[in-house]
Amino acid sequence: MFQMIRAIVFIAFGLIFQTAAAQCTLTLSGHVNDIETKEHLSDAVIRIKELKITAITDKDGFYSFKGLCPGVYTLEVSHAGCVTAEKHIHLKTDLETDIDLSHAVTELQEVVIQGKASGAATPSAEVKGKALEATRGLSLAESIKKVSGVSMLQTGSNIYKPVIHGLHSNRVLILNNGVRQEGQQWGNEHAPEIDPFIANRISVIKGASAIRYGADAIGGVILVEPKLLRHDPGIDGEVNTALFSNNRMGVLSAMLEGNSERKPAFSWRVQGTVKRGGYAHTPNYWLANSANEEYNFSAAAGWKKQEWGTELFYSQFNTRLGIFAGSHIGNVTDLWNAILSKDPPDYIKNVGFSYNIDRPYQDIQHQLLKAKTWKNTGTIGRLNLVVSGQYNNRQEYDQKRFASSSNAPQLDLSIATGMAELVWDHFNTGDFRGTIGGSFMYQNNQYERRLFIPNYESTNTGLFVIEKWTKNKLDIEAGVRFDRKSIYNTTDNGAVRFYADRLFNNLSGNIGFNYRFTPAFRATVHASTAWRAPQVNELYADGLHHGAARIEKGNATLTPERANNIAANFIFSNSKWDIDAGIYHKEIDGFIFLEPTFPPELTIRGAFPAFRYTQTNARLSGLDFSAAYSFDAHFSSSLKASLLRAWDKTNKQWLIQMPADRYEAAVEYNFGNARKLNDTYIGINSTWVLQQTRVPATGNIEVPGTTVKQSDYLNPPPAYFLLGFEAGTKLKWKHNNVSFILAVTNLLNKAYRDYMNSFRYFSDEMGRNISLRIRIPFDIKHKHKS
Amino acid sequence: MKMKHIKLFAVVMLSGLILAGCKKKNNEEENEEELITTVKLTLTPVGGGSALVYSWKDVDGVGGNAPVIQAVTLAPSKVYNCSVQFLNESVTPAEDITTEVVTEGVDHQVYYAVSGGAALTINGLNTDGNGLPLGTTSSFTTAAASTGSLKITLKHKPGVKAANDAVTKGETDVEVDFPVTIQ
Repeated sequence: MFQMIRAIVFIAFGLIFQTAAAQCTLTLSGHVNDIETKEHLSDAVIRIKELKITAITDKDGFYSFKGLCPGVYTLEVSHAGCVTAEKHIHLKTDLETDIDLSHAVTELQEVVIQGKASGAATPSAEVKGKALEATRGLSLAESIKKVSGVSMLQTGSNIYKPVIHGLHSNRVLILNNGVRQEGQQWGNEHAPEIDPFIANRISVIKGASAIRYGADAIGGVILVEPKLLRHDPGIDGEVNTALFSNNRMGVLSAMLEGNSERKPAFSWRVQGTVKRGGYAHTPNYWLANSANEEYNFSAAAGWKKQEWGTELFYSQFNTRLGIFAGSHIGNVTDLWNAILSKDPPDYIKNVGFSYNIDRPYQDIQHQLLKAKTWKNTGTIGRLNLVVSGQYNNRQEYDQKRFASSSNAPQLDLSIATGMAELVWDHFNTGDFRGTIGGSFMYQNNQYERRLFIPNYESTNTGLFVIEKWTKNKLDIEAGVRFDRKSIYNTTDNGAVRFYADRLFNNLSGNIGFNYRFTPAFRATVHASTAWRAPQVNELYADGLHHGAARIEKGNATLTPERANNIAANFIFSNSKWDIDAGIYHKEIDGFIFLEPTFPPELTIRGAFPAFRYTQTNARLSGLDFSAAYSFDAHFSSSLKASLLRAWDKTNKQWLIQMPADRYEAAVEYNFGNARKLNDTYIGINSTWVLQQTRVPATGNIEVPGTTVKQSDYLNPPPAYFLLGFEAGTKLKWKHNNVSFILAVTNLLNKAYRDYMNSFRYFSDEMGRNISLRIRIPFDIKHKHKS
Repeated sequence: MKMKHIKLFAVVMLSGLILAGCKKKNNEEENEEELITTVKLTLTPVGGGSALVYSWKDVDGVGGNAPVIQAVTLAPSKVYNCSVQFLNESVTPAEDITTEVVTEGVDHQVYYAVSGGAALTINGLNTDGNGLPLGTTSSFTTAAASTGSLKITLKHKPGVKAANDAVTKGETDVEVDFPVTIQ
């Protein structure tokens, strides 16, 4: 097997470094026009995204690129006062193509502006277009797992959390349509409450460089970005379906949006998703009670004038997630029984397929209401005000002890968050561009039933300045941020236990350099310092953590973490190559983590695994590498690697629960365009995850019947190699393209376990999964050419 | 900003605040339903004598204070009728959960395991509606003077309870160890 993997990796490398001669002599040219007036637009910027080269239209609105290689390209066309348009072209011979831009007010959504403010110097990646379409129907974390440096923290087959450079939960911030997602994000089995169908782009900013969004994001930031509201009159929409064979899951999502002909300032959008899946299947047995269901909807309305605009957005996310029956353990004895028997007991394995969700399960609702208003401040900038409210309710239903027991959940946490943010973006003032702002957040957490984290209120005030200076080939970006976080009213818990009020404040800052050596090659260096206050669960958790079947104890003496981060990226991109190689190094002082304590805590249900929050000094360094190479217009290949070394400096050992090294390779053949079918492609991809051998040598977990103490209940699972297949096409239907994607994951139906899945103790991962995705766009009142 | 936009804004902010503030919940600490805090053994000597009562208690539940465990002391070469009770003493009056265990006996089973050399034999477990062992009452037979410990485990096996189930099957509701002295 290893011989084979080595051979494949070798071949993949061999293919990549082969040099191919091609005819790079093609010309692409045309005019850029105003869609309404048909007037030629001068000074429009046309950028070929794959090549990162730009052309500017002359006074007659004419542009041209010379010396292009045959291939598939994306043109991004922008013009002052117009909405940026994208156009895909397939270049085989010289091509003349005109581009129509719709004239609109210069609205850039805050996410776009933020994206710019975070700058080219920040290590980041985007999932959009075809790559995003190929993940439709999956969770947020699964949608971005192909980004190098990103991995997933799993709880069974239903709960996925994104991990960036080994960090997750409180250390990774998720921006849902420009608003910080606030729920009970501290829990390893608390997945982000976001419907990825609302996004047409998901961006990942790696490292602690995104101080725009809060100091605590020392792992990184994930931006879930919807497309802009429709700007020209008419109504359009799309229907997405995704069907999965493994757990017989079906997903249906629909979106309808419009812009009023009579009141062109008014735009709207409604969207909804329904998802239902049954038990997942490992290669050998069903995972009993692993069904899931999800119902989401959102609505947006915008009013947009030349000088100001306002937008209202509401979304609701509802999910019920079954927890695999074989993972439900009573105490340490049960846990060891489950681990030592390797596979689930027969009475669980022999359960057949079902869509039923029984206890234990999670029932979560998240609501978000957001209002955003902007106003131009003359020609030099724009003032943005975002006010939002969020409500998150998490109910965890444990096994009932008696059939007659009440149906109430065992854990019921509600957190309400109100936020206001005022930001001034200033456009190019000399060579400077930047963002100055402040934010305020209020939270109120309430629990019912079992106490795990106390009731509390908290406020967070932040002030920040980010400036970017651009001159010739160099960009320099620097920012500084102050945050003050207060946790209070923690004693309002029936006076059973005492929790002190807390106040933290500190500074964070960053500086980044981006230097363009040639149009194809640039390098960035980024340094930052950030801090994160300990959260309530880290300070005050006390009790049984239901989903994890362990007792977690907070530690009131924790101090904030301080992360000092340096990262360098080398980006080379031309018609053949697309390479992004990044290295990073983080020193985190006072890194907070859960450490098992010895002995396990004695309860009436027997001894329970007990963990306590503790601090150490950590060093995380790693490499993210991705390279893609196009042999010609049809054949391309890619290779990715994510490596991380996480060291506990205080205890001189490896840090536990860090992702193992991962390599991915893919080849794709694109058939190009036919009369009815466009962009038809077929590809094979592979993932190779090594065994995590860098784990602490000793720990506080006693092996039963011995006095041996180890750091984990079970050694990390062995390395695994998975193959996948993907094919897609677009069928021309009226003037729209209906797209189809057929994919198979775990093609060889391999039984394996992953170190980052907390259910690795109990069961294998999902087996082969065949999926079909169909996207049907439509226009109701067709008013414009797309 | 025009007046009507300010108004619109006020409405949005207000609804934000309502979202943020409406759900003021009960701030009392509520315990997990049917919390079992206490395992109580009542041992009545066959042939006369007063009953012996021993308990294993963790009144504040998981976390907080450590449990209080009484050592079981029995006379040698004697037979005791044992009845085990599961109580929730975190509420007043204490709740007897044994009744529910007996009512839903087909899904539950009490296991007894003696270890560490105590000369104690346990048999005569009562049965559930299907004739399978339940174990809320049993018979304790002692031999020579000795010491050891007694593990009492209450298992929950909804729908899967069968004859000769090992103690590893199902979910553990209770697992306690009593020190045992026969003297």
